[in-house]
Amino acid sequence: MAQAAKGKLNFRCPRCFMRDIDIDMFFDADKKEYYCLRCNFRGTEEEVEALNEQVKEKYGRLRERVTDFGADNRPPVFAPHRRGEQ
Amino acid sequence: MDNLFALNIIHRPELSPEYAERALGGRKDVRDESLDIFLFQQSAAHENGLKTTIQITYASLFSDKIVEIAKEHHGIYGDEIGLSLLGLPCKQFREKYKTEDFCIWMFDEETKKQIVDDCFSLFFEKFGFYPESTGSYFLDAFTINYIKKKYPSVKCAVATCWEEGPKAYHTCNNSWYTFMDGGPWNPWIPSKVNSHCPASGKEDDSGIVAIPHLSRDLMACFDGNGSNFGTHPQNVLRGMIYYKDGDSVEYPYLYNLIDEYRHLAKYNDGYCYNMMFVGPGWLNRAGRWEAPYELLAKSYRDGMKYYGKLKKEGKCVDMTMSEFADFYRERHPDYRRGECALWKDILYGSDKEYFWYADPALRCCLDFNQGGAMIDLRPYIARIPQETGIGTDSVWDASYPYLIQANYRAGYFTHYAGAGTVKSCKVHYHGQSADLCLCRTMASFRRTEGGVEITADPVTVLLDGLAIVIRSVFFFEDGTGKVLTRREIVNDLHGEEVEFEEYFTGGFGTTEYQPDMTKLTLGVGKEEFPFTYHGKKLSGKGTAHVSIPDVYTRVEMGGEADLCEVEEGIAFSPVYHLRASKKITKGAFETWLRLQREN
Ligand SMILES: [Zn+2]
Repeated sequence: MAQAAKGKLNFRCPRCFMRDIDIDMFFDADKKEYYCLRCNFRGTEEEVEALNEQVKEKYGRLRERVTDFGADNRPPVFAPHRRGEQ
Repeated sequence: MDNLFALNIIHRPELSPEYAERALGGRKDVRDESLDIFLFQQSAAHENGLKTTIQITYASLFSDKIVEIAKEHHGIYGDEIGLSLLGLPCKQFREKYKTEDFCIWMFDEETKKQIVDDCFSLFFEKFGFYPESTGSYFLDAFTINYIKKKYPSVKCAVATCWEEGPKAYHTCNNSWYTFMDGGPWNPWIPSKVNSHCPASGKEDDSGIVAIPHLSRDLMACFDGNGSNFGTHPQNVLRGMIYYKDGDSVEYPYLYNLIDEYRHLAKYNDGYCYNMMFVGPGWLNRAGRWEAPYELLAKSYRDGMKYYGKLKKEGKCVDMTMSEFADFYRERHPDYRRGECALWKDILYGSDKEYFWYADPALRCCLDFNQGGAMIDLRPYIARIPQETGIGTDSVWDASYPYLIQANYRAGYFTHYAGAGTVKSCKVHYHGQSADLCLCRTMASFRRTEGGVEITADPVTVLLDGLAIVIRSVFFFEDGTGKVLTRREIVNDLHGEEVEFEEYFTGGFGTTEYQPDMTKLTLGVGKEEFPFTYHGKKLSGKGTAHVSIPDVYTRVEMGGEADLCEVEEGIAFSPVYHLRASKKITKGAFETWLRLQREN
């Protein structure tokens, strides 16, 4: 097989991203899969994208907008964010 | 004074940005693409009625086109033309300096001076004046002092990237050597001796106002990768902090973060600050971090749009860097006043709250999710005379040392044995003990005479059936290196006696790994002993103290204690302990922590 190359969008390894490591994956054209040089992950673009959605689960306020920072000793107040709104 | 949210927007044209060069694999159109990115960023700001500071790079000084555009934008939009010490790499630079290095703080002293002179004289040649602002990811005191002496027109500089250190290194697969942890998160006047430390007065004033390279999330960056959580739209994309709604990509976190910075006015006499400084590599046509160019560009436009909206609503004042320096000095006549940030989680959905404090004597973080435990402490009062670059003992590590860093050095939780670095309080009753690190709470802020007072909401400790309600109050004295801690018993213990043990478990260093500790001396009152890793203890009536020559620091702890104690760590747990204890039935136990410079 020929050597692997970068994919079209510099996909990072989703498993490594979950442990706070940014490492670009390489694409194996023969097997049509991305793979990581550091951990043991390998997967298709769809698998990478699905894991990237899992990555975001740690951001509990991902879809929320702060409406008030409130009293010092209270958490901020959030509301659902609406598309296009700042 | 009215609230004022000051904003700096900075653009640097690069003719061969390192990222673009690598991403495009040396394609021929890197130059044109770089110019396009710069023009795009400029127009995104101008369309939203915002002025910028154009930080000209060495490489772009060789482009007549860039010079012409900068002059034009200065004339039309009032943009400032500054000079960046980033963006050095180009053919001319490599030929002249015969190096692939590009970080100004990593060169030897002679080369630092040569590069500065080269950049400033070429700038003068092209523009006919010397710049008022400059910058890099990090500027050491040596370079700032040299610039200020030789080019006194400079009054503002980008001088650090907050908490970029071991975390950034690890995130970048251990390849990114930007170690500059330990500085202030918001603008400051750097000391002449060490640029991390805010100046203590006129004689220590380096003559410039420093700004950070990004306005970063003061909670997310303490544990996670700094380059995901800043007022930098592409950092937010890098962190994957966005969601898709149909064909649109949304990132409310970016606006929440900007708003949290605005909220900091409450703790800083109505002043708050933000900056956005996106290098061109983040906006290249090949896309980055799984994001296509269109999304990179949209997020940048959205960032500018939000600042523009705030400006239109009268909630934001855009300034150039030199304008900001003048404003900052006017607004901060007292060098000793602490910069404060009571920071709430806006990202993960916890109710965590940190209190960050920085003044000329110390930088510190209290974690109210751990009862107000001190989880980070930097002894600015020591003015550690650090040198960085080739030819010094520290070629790449420019971080300011910590005494406490609970994430690098374990904090409350350790495996099996030993102790991590943290300052907290233990409560003892009938042979049972509890640590306030395990009492989650939140706190309120108040400016008082000569300092700031942070009061935690009371927490309850339950020991052998006795409920003890405790309120912790922390008082930071402006610029003295002294922190008072009061543990108040709020409920009636009906005469039962409990023991409070205020403790400070410290180390020192800039990374996760503790350097040798055998130069330390521990003591209580006048009695002392050298550190030998044998777990030796000493207690008595006097003040507990430790001297750490490696970081020019002496730490003292005392108060209305029955007993003070010091203990050295062991090889498996290389730390030192200072303790102050008192038995009480009601009222409060007050202790103080004092940092001092010691040679
Ligand atoms: Zn991996």
